[in-house]
Amino acid sequence: MKKLFVLMMVFILSVSAIAEITFWTTETESNRQTRIKALAAIYEAQTGVKVNVVPIEENDLMTQIPVAKNSGTLPDVLEAGIEPLLLLSSENFMDQNLNTEIVNSFGDIYPGAKRLLSDASGSSFAVPFHAWVQGLWYRKDWFEGRDLGFPYSWHNILTAAKALNDPANGVYGIIIPKKANAFTQQVFTEIALANGARPMDADGNLLLDSQEMIEAFRFYKELGKYSKPGYTDVLDALKGYLSGETAMTFYSTYIMDDIAVEEVQKSRIDKFDADLVVNTGFANKMINIRPTSYGQMVGIGVLSNSKNKSDAEKFIKFLMSPKNYVYWLHMAPGGMNPTRSSVAESDEFLDNPILQRYGKAKIAEIVAALDEVERFEFIEGKVLTDMSKLDSNFVIGKAINYMFANDWTPQQTAAWAQAEAKRVLGK
Amino acid sequence: MTFLNRYSPLKKKEAIFGWKLVSPTVILISVLILYPVFYNIYLSFFDVSLSIGSENKFVGLSNYINILKDSTFWRSFGTTVAFTLITVIGSILLGLGVALLMNKKFFGRTLVRALLLLPYVTPLIAIVFSWKYVLLPIDGPLTKFLTLFGFSSGMDIINDPNNSFIVVSIFNIWRNFPFIYLMILSKLQAINEDYYEAAEIDGANSWQKFLHITLPELYFVIGSVALLRGIWNFYKFDEVYLMSKFANTLPIYIYEKAFTGVPQQGVAAAIATLLFLFMMVIIGYYVRKVLKW
Repeated sequence: MKKLFVLMMVFILSVSAIAEITFWTTETESNRQTRIKALAAIYEAQTGVKVNVVPIEENDLMTQIPVAKNSGTLPDVLEAGIEPLLLLSSENFMDQNLNTEIVNSFGDIYPGAKRLLSDASGSSFAVPFHAWVQGLWYRKDWFEGRDLGFPYSWHNILTAAKALNDPANGVYGIIIPKKANAFTQQVFTEIALANGARPMDADGNLLLDSQEMIEAFRFYKELGKYSKPGYTDVLDALKGYLSGETAMTFYSTYIMDDIAVEEVQKSRIDKFDADLVVNTGFANKMINIRPTSYGQMVGIGVLSNSKNKSDAEKFIKFLMSPKNYVYWLHMAPGGMNPTRSSVAESDEFLDNPILQRYGKAKIAEIVAALDEVERFEFIEGKVLTDMSKLDSNFVIGKAINYMFANDWTPQQTAAWAQAEAKRVLGK
Repeated sequence: MTFLNRYSPLKKKEAIFGWKLVSPTVILISVLILYPVFYNIYLSFFDVSLSIGSENKFVGLSNYINILKDSTFWRSFGTTVAFTLITVIGSILLGLGVALLMNKKFFGRTLVRALLLLPYVTPLIAIVFSWKYVLLPIDGPLTKFLTLFGFSSGMDIINDPNNSFIVVSIFNIWRNFPFIYLMILSKLQAINEDYYEAAEIDGANSWQKFLHITLPELYFVIGSVALLRGIWNFYKFDEVYLMSKFANTLPIYIYEKAFTGVPQQGVAAAIATLLFLFMMVIIGYYVRKVLKW
């Protein structure tokens, strides 16, 4: 009996001695999970620390966190997009001191990437992990034929859309999203910021009916004239571009493998255009009265309640050490871009069939846009948590949807958006 | 257990045994249903804090007052009642019609009966995408077909925000009528043929047979499925939200109010309590008057 007792004690002690951390990731696709679990297994083999990888849908995050808080099952490390990280940080969930230390310890994180995940004092909510950039993908060959310049400015974009629009032959100047969803809001964000328009100022005052905003709506509606009919969405934008149905489309860098890889393209449109990769140009910024670019940063950070912060910190550093980092980023070549300059420029990162097709210069250009990335949620180092409420209620998306459905003037659209935003925020 | 003293020892034993038998269910219901319900009511009086290191703040009835003062709540409430009535009545009429047809003998009936269940048994997300696909402007197969009859190919019926209420209502009726058809059909098959024979001898026509035999026989089935569908559709979120962002029913109001941005769990709990009370009153009245319990 005594022996059994001792044996049990040894077992219990040895089990509890195994350190463990929990890692919530929003990369839920099964092939990504395989890679993440492989990295966790390597980490465990190297350090003896077990990593519980929990995949969680980004949309469920803000409902799962309160549940986990009440049941005491919050993770030690969390990987998520800017919006949830911001909200969590405003509620003191993120250990800003430790995350800032980790950011500083790398020494080569792009300043633009760092800025997107830190407050006015420079303290980081989370470590910038990887990012995609949104821009205008366009048919370089069609543009060159008509001498249309580069579609960076509002003027050039509209001129090209008008010139290349040929609906009789099933070709449109552009495909812009018109549905009430996140994609429409992302595209509109870039357009509005290029005109200096913001839905909210640093003090949280609503500016959806400002003159700049009205002009942005007007430009969007103008583009709609040369866009594919219907309330087009993200898949229309992607398929339309791949099948040569449009001269321009807004999309994130996740389109890169669709353009370059035969199997991926065939899975979308049943055929493959081998020249598309050469004939494609990418406008990584937009300008009307000021330049801007749009992108999404995914951060990774230690939570303030973690009981095992030292292992959590080591795990993040492990994931962002060159070899493991490249292995992670190659989950979605083009879609996931590094935030560490040393990795972005390394041959190991570029050693990938998709990235190679675009070449070092193109990749550098895409990554460079990260420095200019702007969002409605940040202004002058301030974070506007109310903006996430407007985003998730699709205030701007709905306004655009209505503008096209009811043929509203830009003024009517702006007035509706302003009133709806007031309603949503209870102002 | 003094109340048991009135019974004979045998009866007493039986009663105790009975309680033992139901106790697992009673315990399960208490833990899994009653506890969350009461905890929800308790939370509705608080400003629930999500922040690490700050406590919930007691706010009395202010969550309730704020909701009841919100005009959006009342608009959503009206929309939800209209949605529930239209979809329940619509799916019952369709389900009843189809069940009557499927009760007649014809070649290939088994196959048709099985096919009719597809809208109900196919995963929701798949049919939402199918609907959106067939009605795509320009490329959608149904749109192409409709252009033969003079419709504009650029028309986007489903995604037009002005159509949202009608689209979600039609979609809901189409998706859920098989459930009603199935319930009604099973009852139809159990109606004694003798009634119809007797009616025919008395010279009743088809309509009279339907009105005086079929309908009274179906009364409780229709009453029950109307109640179930009413409860389900009143709380329906997934179908409505996936089809349109503009339908503005109450579940969407709750989602918008409580789960976007930083979740406001106290407010969500108060709305849930209000809806719970409303439904309890309606259900109580309905089962008494319609189902005659």
